[in-house]
Amino acid sequence: MAVPLRYNFRNLRVRWRLTIATMLGIALVVAVFVMVMALSQGLKSTYVSTGDPRNLLVLRKGSTAESSSQITRSEVRLIKYLDGIARDGDGEPLASAEILILINLDRIDHHGSGNVLVRGIGPVGLRLRTSIRLIEGRMFQSGLHECVVSRKISERFANCRVGEQFRSGRTLWRVVGIFEAAKTAYESEIWTDADEIRDVFKRNFYGSILIRPVENSTMVATMIKRMEADKQLSIRVLPEVEYYIEQTKTAAPIQWLGSVLAVVMSIGAAFSAMNTMYAAVSARTREIGTLRVLGFRRRHIYVSFLLESVILALFGGAVGCLFSLPLNGMATGTMSWTTFSEVAFEFRVTPELLAKGMAFALVMGVLGGLLPARLAARKPVLDALRSV
Amino acid sequence: MTIPGFILRNALRNKRRLVLTLLSVTLSLFLFTMLQTALHEMTQPSQTEESSLRVIVRHKVSLGNALPTKYQSRIERVPGVRTCMKFTWFGGIYRDPKDFFPQFAVDADKLADIFSEAKVDPQENAAFIKDRAGCVVGIKTMDRFGWKLGDRITLKGTIWPCDPVLTIRGVYRGGIDETNLFFHHEYMDELCGKWGVCLNFWIRAHRAEDIPGLIKQIDETFANTDAETKTETERAFLLEFVSMIGNVKVLINSICSVIIFTLILVTASTMSMAIRERAREIAILKAVGYDGWQILGLILAESFGLALTGGFLGCFGAWFGATMLFQYVNIATVSNGMFIKLEVTPHIVVSGMLIAIVLGVVSCIVPAWSSVRMSVVTGLKELD
Repeated sequence: MAVPLRYNFRNLRVRWRLTIATMLGIALVVAVFVMVMALSQGLKSTYVSTGDPRNLLVLRKGSTAESSSQITRSEVRLIKYLDGIARDGDGEPLASAEILILINLDRIDHHGSGNVLVRGIGPVGLRLRTSIRLIEGRMFQSGLHECVVSRKISERFANCRVGEQFRSGRTLWRVVGIFEAAKTAYESEIWTDADEIRDVFKRNFYGSILIRPVENSTMVATMIKRMEADKQLSIRVLPEVEYYIEQTKTAAPIQWLGSVLAVVMSIGAAFSAMNTMYAAVSARTREIGTLRVLGFRRRHIYVSFLLESVILALFGGAVGCLFSLPLNGMATGTMSWTTFSEVAFEFRVTPELLAKGMAFALVMGVLGGLLPARLAARKPVLDALRSV
Repeated sequence: MTIPGFILRNALRNKRRLVLTLLSVTLSLFLFTMLQTALHEMTQPSQTEESSLRVIVRHKVSLGNALPTKYQSRIERVPGVRTCMKFTWFGGIYRDPKDFFPQFAVDADKLADIFSEAKVDPQENAAFIKDRAGCVVGIKTMDRFGWKLGDRITLKGTIWPCDPVLTIRGVYRGGIDETNLFFHHEYMDELCGKWGVCLNFWIRAHRAEDIPGLIKQIDETFANTDAETKTETERAFLLEFVSMIGNVKVLINSICSVIIFTLILVTASTMSMAIRERAREIAILKAVGYDGWQILGLILAESFGLALTGGFLGCFGAWFGATMLFQYVNIATVSNGMFIKLEVTPHIVVSGMLIAIVLGVVSCIVPAWSSVRMSVVTGLKELD
């Protein structure tokens, strides 16, 4: 029969000071780990959720970012009317020639500035993206220097609320609407008309074309092959979803930081758990002797002490997860290494991350308990009973 | 037995506990030092005499917009400007995106004057200026790919639609970043179809005092044109770049405070364990005539010794670790160019050691004080 768990709980309660100190130590390690990972998780899921699996993105050959790709007007004309591109009710092809430019805007507190992406879209650009939802104001009208701003950008940068104006490229842009885009990367953008952007910022080319092919995979495959092989076109075609997944590498440094921190800090916390458990073993030497006399085997003692350490660590882990929960949904921003623009996103504490945090706690508990439990199990019965 | 000997014996009474505590202090301060070093690297671009003379002109709309190259001659005429060089981020791919290193198109004849801390052999530099398809490469990147002078390399343009084939004509050593590649701006223009644009102009001023006036005059010259400029010092330029990454300072500093808080918590509980089990001995010491202050001193010295040893191991471990990392890992590549050199500054080591000192006091003061105040009789009654 195993040593009852109640024995362990009571022991933890008796030495409550030490228990709380060790538990808090583990809790903080878990909290830091979950928080940093929630940061990288939020950033990643922003990109992963962006893009419609039905869309294809056309960039210049060799280009890795929409903001630095160039597609000439003649290329746009050629691509737009290719066979294999779906058409709407009026026979207009579902292809939006777009341009992305980087503009520098003051932050909302006017302390410093940041780069924001402005996307110029074609007339069908909105129809290709179903996740866009206007939450305030109206859509922009072409030719009037109007734009719509994502809610996150309007909360982070100055002069970006409905009715306000900001200056960029010798033009005042009027904000007429605020949109949300289901937590995708579009939520870090300002949208307006592509040709207006080209005119104001003196670009005689577009950046990319977003197309919706017909739902016929063999036809699409031949279309892509033909497009990439065409000598007149120097382009690269890839699924829109894939383009955004490539950008999750922006989260790599944060993830790196999180992992290094977690490993080093948890070693430290395991040491402190070990210290606590050694103290527990030496304070209870007589009890161990008594348990042995009562008929508990060495392995029972071993399991009991190991379990005590694990319980301690799991409590700590749970507290740590609780600490990190309020962070869920908090807005923050960083720079994308692909476009050098601000990406606004939210911390995401997912059940998976919490589980990872608890797993970390478990590892700390086991590491901290192994050696002390072995020591406890190996105490000779007589010596243990004799000790004061 | 001498007093130091006594303290040492006391510290060593439970070797296992000592080692474990020492290790957790060491690890925490190691982490603290490393994080502060990273923060320092990101928020405090190092400034030298040369870099304080440098000024950067960019498009007012943002860094992503290019400037007409014809601005160059007008900037050169602004008083206080010694050299003005075209400077364009090329961002091409060599072999594979993983083999990333920074590449810039520049005015070859002006490079040595603008980045004077990057030393190139004069003969190599002359060869570079003469060969329009030549390039100069930092020693780190040379070593990374095992390149030699005269090697030919091809870069695939991702931002600029051309794939320059370059011959390595020179190697530079020194300066903040030894991983860059510089090649002729004219060569890029020619390959890309003479767009007549460049991303920035880098200026070297005659004297630091000229800079404020020079910045004002350049921006005024191009006000109300299609491409208005924003001119700023190299330091301001770099800091703006860093601020884009996000509020790293808050993130790292809060992680550091959590680490220190945890450390104090854990060490304090260990110390209180160590002191409480000694209540009997402390009572005996008092009975034989030591007064409270002396005993407090003994305990403090022990706790201090522990914290300082841990602090020393942690800080210097970090210094050693950072040096090794710098030596054997290409940090610039691993971190996407965010860290260029990892330097543990004396300032950081001092703050780490200060934390160790505070830790030494704070972690033992409460239990030490209560056991010192305990009456001799109560103390003697305690079972160990």
